[in-house]
Amino acid sequence: MQLRTDLTTRAEQVAYVAGALAGLYSGPATPSPIRGGRRAALRRLRAFDVRGYARTRNDVAKRGVSALSPYIRHGVLALSEVRDSILSRFGYTPDTEKFVNELAWRAFWQLVYAQLGDRIHHDLEPAKHRSRVPRRRLPPEVETATTGLTCIDESLRELYATGYMHNHARMWVAAYLQHWLGVDWREGADLFYRHLLDGDPASNSLSWQWVGSTFSHKPYIFNRQNVERFSNGEFCMRCPLAAGGCPFDDSYENLAQRLFGVSLAELEGRR
Amino acid sequence: MNGAVVWLHGDSLTPTDPALLANPAAPAVFVFDEPFLAAAQLSFKRLFFLYECALEAIAGREGSIRRGVVVDEVRAFAAEHQATEVHVTASVAPRFRQYVAELRNAGLQIVIHELPPFVLWRGAPPRRFSAFWRQVADQALRPTGSGPELPAEQDVE
Repeated sequence: MQLRTDLTTRAEQVAYVAGALAGLYSGPATPSPIRGGRRAALRRLRAFDVRGYARTRNDVAKRGVSALSPYIRHGVLALSEVRDSILSRFGYTPDTEKFVNELAWRAFWQLVYAQLGDRIHHDLEPAKHRSRVPRRRLPPEVETATTGLTCIDESLRELYATGYMHNHARMWVAAYLQHWLGVDWREGADLFYRHLLDGDPASNSLSWQWVGSTFSHKPYIFNRQNVERFSNGEFCMRCPLAAGGCPFDDSYENLAQRLFGVSLAELEGRR
Repeated sequence: MNGAVVWLHGDSLTPTDPALLANPAAPAVFVFDEPFLAAAQLSFKRLFFLYECALEAIAGREGSIRRGVVVDEVRAFAAEHQATEVHVTASVAPRFRQYVAELRNAGLQIVIHELPPFVLWRGAPPRRFSAFWRQVADQALRPTGSGPELPAEQDVE
């Protein structure tokens, strides 16, 4: 079946594609505010100021990130083009070096995918430590972004509404699902893949395995202090569990014991 | 009967796709992979993003965006244009290799174009990114040009 390509406004295109691709998607037929296409990609690249990147990239409030990933994932911008553009405009600095280092993660995931193919969707190594919480399926409150944890719910709501989630928030959500809820990483990866505009089999599955320690030397965990520090305190300020009951409000030492039954040193492979 | 068409896929969906650039006058087709998408049930946002990318990729040439079985649609498109050659840009996805094999089995000549490399790498990658980065950092940080021409500042969102 051939799709129309003559519609000029985005609203017309959305209404048309919603019908033309019926059965091939789930959820509401609403587009992302992030536009597809090379023109939008170049506008984003032009607007991205890499200065301060090394300091602000992990901050979900300050958003020092480029937000170029949807374009890079679909080849709308080549990694080499992005690298060349940033280095030629901003020179060689700790910020540009960090940015290029992040671009290299994608190159790395692609090489692993080229090597292993669909094996990336299975545990690549034994987990170094497994959370002691009972295994469970993805709970419905994750799909509806109603876990009651503001940092998790707002990150999920952004994902569902826009198809984007900040990288640091992805790490929080992935760790929460695997280590606190006991959800298999494949279910979490599948949820992200369905929604992320930059959803890529390699980057997605391998990052979930990195968090779970089946493709890294230790499980990734975080705590409330980390969320507060990298969200300018905003999530916790709005969270009903801020005064008590936050599952992340603990030291890393205690979280290692609580979640994995080992010391932090053991969790990190230092003992 | 030796015309060429370009097959576009979601790993290189842009007017600067190397297969498109190598064939400036060739008709091009992008196919929404019906069996794959029916099973994957992605959000509409993802599919519409692809549609917008595809629209721009084919702008200014004879182009077609379709829904169906990829190999069948590419074969039909090539036949409509009396083409025996299909140009496409490489992808590491296993599904891509499978479709290329099926198109070759169907008697089409497949010409695979390569993306401009970010770093040159041969063979298996190491198990950890840190080891990879140690080996490629010098190359990765060496620009090969000044990047694409960017829109004027007033056009920025």
